[in-house]
Amino acid sequence: MIYSVALPFKDWLKEQFFFLGGITYLMRDCLREGFNKPFYWKLLIDQIYQIGVRSFPLVLVTSGTIGMVMSLQFGFGLEKFGGKPYVPRLVASTIFREIGPMFTSLMLAARVGAGMASEIGSMVVTQQIDAIRALGTSPIKKIVFPRILACLIILPLSVAMANVIGNIGGWLVGVSELGLDPQFYYRRVLDTANIRDYLSGFGKTFFFALFISVPSCYFGLTVKNGTQEVGMATRKAVVTSSLLILIGDYFLAKVFWILEKWL
Amino acid sequence: MAVIEVKNFRKSFGTKLVHEDVSFYVKKGECLGLVGGSGAGKSVILRSLIGLEKPDSGQVLIDDHEVTAYDELDWLYVRKKVGYAFQGGALFDSMTVFQNLSYPLIEHTLLTHFEISRKILSQLDDFGLAGTEKLYPNELSGGMQKRVGLARAMMLEPEIILYDEPTAGLDPYNTKKIQELIINLKKKGVTSILVTHDMPTAFAVCDKFAFLKDKVIKEQGTIEQLKNKTQENSLIHQFIEGNIL
Repeated sequence: MIYSVALPFKDWLKEQFFFLGGITYLMRDCLREGFNKPFYWKLLIDQIYQIGVRSFPLVLVTSGTIGMVMSLQFGFGLEKFGGKPYVPRLVASTIFREIGPMFTSLMLAARVGAGMASEIGSMVVTQQIDAIRALGTSPIKKIVFPRILACLIILPLSVAMANVIGNIGGWLVGVSELGLDPQFYYRRVLDTANIRDYLSGFGKTFFFALFISVPSCYFGLTVKNGTQEVGMATRKAVVTSSLLILIGDYFLAKVFWILEKWL
Repeated sequence: MAVIEVKNFRKSFGTKLVHEDVSFYVKKGECLGLVGGSGAGKSVILRSLIGLEKPDSGQVLIDDHEVTAYDELDWLYVRKKVGYAFQGGALFDSMTVFQNLSYPLIEHTLLTHFEISRKILSQLDDFGLAGTEKLYPNELSGGMQKRVGLARAMMLEPEIILYDEPTAGLDPYNTKKIQELIINLKKKGVTSILVTHDMPTAFAVCDKFAFLKDKVIKEQGTIEQLKNKTQENSLIHQFIEGNIL
């Protein structure tokens, strides 16, 4: 969205309405067609591999280093107040609630969102999407639905993994750099971080999965004039997904706080 | 009875009007040659016949069913009986030639793997593509890609075939093979529309012509009617001779 602020306001507004209308129609088509037979299990498994398995190294490195950095910063920051024992709790709950889901989603938005938009956009340019339609099959079922479903399956799993790896990273730094007892750190995480912390972060991942996959598929499918637009669609997909994740995170955090209080 | 009928077809892209009032029909087993200059919108008409484009107004009838109001789910059923040969082949680049050809058979038939293999190998042989089944589209020449696209469009033995420049870029030998193939399909009762600039092919396979110019069909008629006309009283003749666009 940011790339287009230079456009006249009217054009920008029109584009946003087209985007909102487009993703609404896309979601409607997915709900209408996705659950009808035939199901393309093989395509879903392939997407799970492409989106998930191939993203694991990235998630591993990102979450591990973030856990390490957080532990280091909290440790040095709280040291002067004698607050080092609180590092395990702080690191764990921040990772569970915010950093784990958010950074994993942003990483996947960059890697997977860009991949989806460019792949689908290229298929549009080379008339492969038209060919899918002309051969009596649906691009929604064949292309869009497996990608959205794979994201909905993979993102929560990636976040679960990122939470664990992030805490391991925090533990490593806590023990080696901050001089905390390994058993103490471990026990503090288990005792203080609760299931609510975990679920409030985990619950967001399903929304983030939609924030990544739906706009990416939409921008890919709306490519019209050649390969230059494929690049533009890729940029739009990454920027829009990232913004939706960042802005959506605030509102989702509020919703989950309200839910926690209510429950 | 007309298998394909287009009435008062109007189509624009944004502010650009491509077709103002196009009407024609094709009877069962006939082949209509849709000719006109580059950019006249011939492919747009062809695409509209299988719902890849939606007309602004007018009617498109396939087997007497008005299809312009169809949504994507309704179109799926129409497209099973209409083959569309794309200009550039439109092959799936992540699939081999074999997988491209097996795609419609896997989707719409209950044939066994053995039957599918046999059908594909025979089809490839007919199109002079034997031995290419394991190749990917990027390993094929442009002409070969086009022929694979044609072969794929015919895999389900459709009742209607829409050819978008099927012989453009092909050598004379393969052009002749495609002509023979279209003629053979016509003999089997297949109805078709051929969009082309290759006039010898059009004369060899078409039963009638429609000449598209200035957003409307300027002239149409059978081959015999066309033969009886001269350059002075026929726009198609003038187009063929290169005197008008």
